[in-house]
Amino acid sequence: MAFDSSPANIHGGPSSPDDWATSPISNTVSSPGDRRRPKRGRRSSYATPSPLPSDSRFPTPDATPTPSGSNSRRRGRARRPAGTPTAAATPSSTDDAPMSSEAGDGDDDEAPPMYVWGTNISVQDVNAAILRFLRHFRENPQQIEGKYMRIINHVIEVEGDSLDVDAHDVFDYDNDLYAKMVRYPLEVLAIFDIVLMDMVSRINPLFEKHIQARIFNLKSSTSMRNLNPSDVEKMVSLKGMIIRCSSIIPEIREAVFRCLVCGYYSDPIVVDRGRIDEPTICGKQECRSKNSMTLVHNRCRFADKQVVRVQEMPDEIPEGGTPHTVSLLMHDKLVDAGKPGDRVEVTGIYRAMSVRVGQTQRTVKSIFKTYIDCLHLKKTDKSRMHVEDPMETENGPSRNENESTLDEDKVEQLKELSKQPDIYERLTKSLAPNIWELDDVKKGLLCQLFGGNALKLPSGASFRGDINILLVGDPGTSKSQLLQYIHKLSPRGIYTSGRGSSAVGLTAYVAKDPETGETVLESGALVLSDRGICCIDEFDKMSDNARSMLHEVMEQQTVSIAKAGIIASLNARTSVLACANPIGSRYNPRLSVIENIHLPPTLLSRFDLIYLILDKADEQMDRRLAKHIVALHFEDPDNSEQDVIDLPTLTAYVSYARKHIHPQLSDEAAEELTRGYVEMRRRGNFPGSSKKVITATPRQIESLIRLSEALARIRFSQWVEKRDVTEAFRLLEVAMQQSATDHSTGTIDMDLITTGVSASERMRRENLVSTTRNIIMEKMQLGGPSTRLLELLEELKKQSSGAEIHLSDLRNALATLSTEGFVVVHGDSVKRI
Amino acid sequence: MVGLPYDCLANPLGAVRLTFEKAVASGSDPATLDGKDWGAGELFRQFLFDDDGLSQVPMLNQSTIKWVQPNTLVRFRGMIQDMLGNEYYVGAYKDGDMWRTNKFADTSRCPMDASSDMRIWERRLLYCVPIPGQNSWVESSHEAVRNSISPQREKRQREDDATMSDVDMVEPGYALEDSPNPKKMREDGMALEPLGLQKIVAEGNLSTLSLVPDAETNSLPCLVKIYDFPESDLKLNDVFEFVGIFTFDPDLTVDRDDNDELTDNFCEDTLIYLPSTKVPRLHCVVHRKLIGTDFLSNPQLELTPYVIKEVREALLGHLTAVLGNDRVAAQYMLLHLLSRVHARIDSIAVGKLSLNLTCFNKESISVFGNHLKLVMESLLPFTQCLPLTVDYLNTVSLAPKKNYHTNRLECGILQLAEGTHLTIDETSLQTGTLNSKGCENARVLKNMMDSQKVEYDFTYYKMEMAADVQLLILSEGKSNILPADLVLPFRPSSVDSALGVDGEMLKAWRWYLATMKSLPHSIEPHMQKAVEDDLVAARQADRSLGSQEFSRWLTMGRLMSVSFGETCLSMEHWQMVRELERLRKERLLGNM
Repeated sequence: MAFDSSPANIHGGPSSPDDWATSPISNTVSSPGDRRRPKRGRRSSYATPSPLPSDSRFPTPDATPTPSGSNSRRRGRARRPAGTPTAAATPSSTDDAPMSSEAGDGDDDEAPPMYVWGTNISVQDVNAAILRFLRHFRENPQQIEGKYMRIINHVIEVEGDSLDVDAHDVFDYDNDLYAKMVRYPLEVLAIFDIVLMDMVSRINPLFEKHIQARIFNLKSSTSMRNLNPSDVEKMVSLKGMIIRCSSIIPEIREAVFRCLVCGYYSDPIVVDRGRIDEPTICGKQECRSKNSMTLVHNRCRFADKQVVRVQEMPDEIPEGGTPHTVSLLMHDKLVDAGKPGDRVEVTGIYRAMSVRVGQTQRTVKSIFKTYIDCLHLKKTDKSRMHVEDPMETENGPSRNENESTLDEDKVEQLKELSKQPDIYERLTKSLAPNIWELDDVKKGLLCQLFGGNALKLPSGASFRGDINILLVGDPGTSKSQLLQYIHKLSPRGIYTSGRGSSAVGLTAYVAKDPETGETVLESGALVLSDRGICCIDEFDKMSDNARSMLHEVMEQQTVSIAKAGIIASLNARTSVLACANPIGSRYNPRLSVIENIHLPPTLLSRFDLIYLILDKADEQMDRRLAKHIVALHFEDPDNSEQDVIDLPTLTAYVSYARKHIHPQLSDEAAEELTRGYVEMRRRGNFPGSSKKVITATPRQIESLIRLSEALARIRFSQWVEKRDVTEAFRLLEVAMQQSATDHSTGTIDMDLITTGVSASERMRRENLVSTTRNIIMEKMQLGGPSTRLLELLEELKKQSSGAEIHLSDLRNALATLSTEGFVVVHGDSVKRI
Repeated sequence: MVGLPYDCLANPLGAVRLTFEKAVASGSDPATLDGKDWGAGELFRQFLFDDDGLSQVPMLNQSTIKWVQPNTLVRFRGMIQDMLGNEYYVGAYKDGDMWRTNKFADTSRCPMDASSDMRIWERRLLYCVPIPGQNSWVESSHEAVRNSISPQREKRQREDDATMSDVDMVEPGYALEDSPNPKKMREDGMALEPLGLQKIVAEGNLSTLSLVPDAETNSLPCLVKIYDFPESDLKLNDVFEFVGIFTFDPDLTVDRDDNDELTDNFCEDTLIYLPSTKVPRLHCVVHRKLIGTDFLSNPQLELTPYVIKEVREALLGHLTAVLGNDRVAAQYMLLHLLSRVHARIDSIAVGKLSLNLTCFNKESISVFGNHLKLVMESLLPFTQCLPLTVDYLNTVSLAPKKNYHTNRLECGILQLAEGTHLTIDETSLQTGTLNSKGCENARVLKNMMDSQKVEYDFTYYKMEMAADVQLLILSEGKSNILPADLVLPFRPSSVDSALGVDGEMLKAWRWYLATMKSLPHSIEPHMQKAVEDDLVAARQADRSLGSQEFSRWLTMGRLMSVSFGETCLSMEHWQMVRELERLRKERLLGNM
């Protein structure tokens, strides 16, 4: 955008074919005169030490990067019919020597080529280069029409006022132009705008709006911390977070005055350097009253302006530093483009403005304030990992931008990494390297990070691709650390503690907007971690109410809300990683998982993998722990870790895989899956036993598919191979052996998970019931006197010879019998009916 | 060199100008001097350190600010409380044919013609405050070095001396803002309830409202401008001594009638809230990070094992007396006082040793709590006390918070310099409801306990800053809000009210603590093996032992040998630690 030289200025040489008699100044949205003041202040400060040559517009051998543009502006003044004050008498306080300007005007009439003052940039060259770029740039050779020509046409159609120009395109097409643009943005952009105007008026002569070029996506982006005086007046791009927006400032552009005496309206007066020259005398010949002119507000033209403060992203701040901030100046359409809290990528021109001691004083304090004249503002995704999200992409361009965040070398590097034979092991090792052991748990977590493919059948049934994991374990087995680590790594994710989470906090709640009074839906943790991982610590301490909300989320992946007149179903395609302590804080191996963690089986079955992290009495482990801790205290912390993939690479790896790799089941793998599943089911019927134990359910085969897909993704493979399936089986078995082992028989029993009671236990109970029934049949008469429970227990113990029977077992048995209508239980007494 | 043509002390800018002119005259183009030093720094360094000029430089504080002349060399000791970013200024400009510089100055000396050539340079702005919790003896020790004379300061010196020689250290005059009225406290004497509500309120108010701390209080913030130093040198909460040129220019106050919103928004900054009348500016020439021993008057003791042992014994005896003849508690206290975070591995802060003394009741806290507080104040350079009550938690802001309106980091109680000692008194905690602020505060405290990190609130996100604070908790039962590394039931057997300590002894102890704390430490391979075996055996015997316990033992082992002035863990010290832990465990069991 032309910030201060209006397009006509540069183009105004006599040689120019079309004389912009009607200066588009009224349409130049971005030439607020008052900004010239700061600019001039800086400009003069940047003048080269050498005296200014009067013919400086001609190629100077030493192309000094210094003031520019001001001369071209002056040229414009000569052209301007009314001699608009835009470029009139520059303030002597800040401007360069008036001499040169006079001479400069003289030069105008002689010789093209013109050069931007003080540089070796030829106006015509740049003009031609831009024109070429806009006309001929194509993303791929097949396209007939240039990319930007298409966009320009589109802009004209929708009567837009800006054209987004990808700086990468400029670079690809003409890197000389790119270099010039970044180096002398003010001048080049002014030319850019003129070229655009020219083209637009050729396409559609009636189109009156002035289209500005908005450059974005520079090749390199600076960090806020590294901005330094040499960046002043250059195009910069940086990332940050908006922390404060000023109110919108209406900035006057044209003022109209009216005579109080005769009612005569003056011509619009254009703002010059933040000032308006108020006419002292009425312009009407007949009137000529003095000091009678008054401003007519609703006839004036205003433009929006806003000052926004951007702060460094937390991850760019070095240790022990506080975030830096920078001010942005936004104009027109960019006003309110972002709000506090947004993470943005800003492209703009870095400017410095001298601070005046007083508004009227000429003396300038020796300090400068810096700001960025914003050209383009892009909101960046909040997430750390870019995840594909077809449902949320609003428009094409933004998707393209996302894709370009991973540049080619990086992708190449990742692919290289994926080809390593031991990538699976290396990734496992890189996951929470400070937590030793627990390799299988880490592998499970790795699968969770990569995730399987979500599947949506045409019939409407959908299968989740997210893998849910539950970690149950003794205190102090670094479960929470694992959780924290995964949280750090996951694309987006929420970390909550079960104790402090309520049902609404997890799902969604309805709140009244304080300003409008409308009810609005506020997302809870699970909804916020859509497409990410929701880490729930202290899962066992969560209220039942909150936990029951998870049922829907974990299988259907939605959150349904029906309250306060809002009925909605929100996506919550999230993996859940939960960890829990056993019920007696330490795992009791004599109890089943269900009894230990005390979670409803319905919920438990929704976890693909349940790991028990137990503190086993193992001297080897103890020794390793001791070694680790001693090393922690006495060794140099740096040399302990090696051969691990660092966090950023890991994140990039995961996000790339999640985005680009969608493995399919190969026939071989499918075969293996079927075979394995049947095998697993068959394992329940071990010979010599009449009881049938279900060791696997359809839920498990879904889990297996997800796991194998995740494993294929880890290798960047498009096909799920047999080995992935084998590994998935192994993972599931490792997890199941720990969690679904029936401790009395030693076999895997999915019934433990699905009903909370193992098959052998069920059989025992049935036996007990029948024995009790027999005893009652024998000992008690129908409608006879009631018997005490303890007596019955004694009897029972005698009969069952040796097997330990508790009172509670008996109570259970009696409860079964009473539902059959066989007995009545009254407190401690039993009565047969 | 005899007879310098300039006086570094009284006219430092002259020296700067001279060197600059020399540099330009010798042919350097001002453009090449961007962000570089042309010899001025070297000159000052030579003056300050080689020619021993440092002691002649007056210290800038509340009392000296009244008479220190602008544009002279001063010293300032403080903690970096906030970083205000960079400032661009006209570094060099052409006045006629001469190049002149504005470095180390707020404004140019000669009227600057706006049309002249200039170079823009940058400098960093740091907002520094006196170290929170600094005890009065620290101030007096470095004031003794100063040799300028002024009536007020003489008086002050005498006062300090009096305090110092005040044998029983009843009430070392508070140097800090958080004492509303030291006089009153003194009158109340020993029987006073140490943590009155009034004080709590006062503290609460102070921390919430003070952007610029009250002019009445004895603390003087300072805006330090740093030139040409890589930014990694200076970190938030570091304690530095800055030597630089003090400037004070009443004309420079920013025009407030200037109601142009644009300029307002750009200059919104900070500086408006820091008028130079309240916050002096210091153009730093030389800075130096201060460590523990820098706060001592003169390290007069030699590092011989014998001396160390003797001092250790005496200090332990003193601590035992203070703790009512509880020698175990005194041993633990000594280790606690020597602890510091020496490494951070992932989220673990290695070396911290927070101590929770339990079994206090209303009576014992008023006696021992007070004693302890005084001892801490007399031994350590920076101490803070935190009375934990529901009201306090609900009102005070513990963690620093960024105020985007003023663009300043508002100081929280837990913004502390490295090595500060923090006593948290939980005995007055009653049942009550915590509001959201209270919960947040409790969480911040716990986080500080666990990982020695404080979350600074930047509204849109939180940023964790590493801290190194020794935490001592006094409570009735085991503190559940603040799980300390060590829980020890306190068993006093006598109350010794007269705790006479002479000044020399105190100095020796301070020196001992500061020096030992910074000792390096290592372990021999054979010892490492022995320790590992011991740990494995212990774990085989008792499954409840985990990494936490092991970690604590190793920390204690390290501190134990450090307390003897040794840099290597020996079996003897390791056994002492195990024995101590055994005693502690017995107590814990006996308590149940």
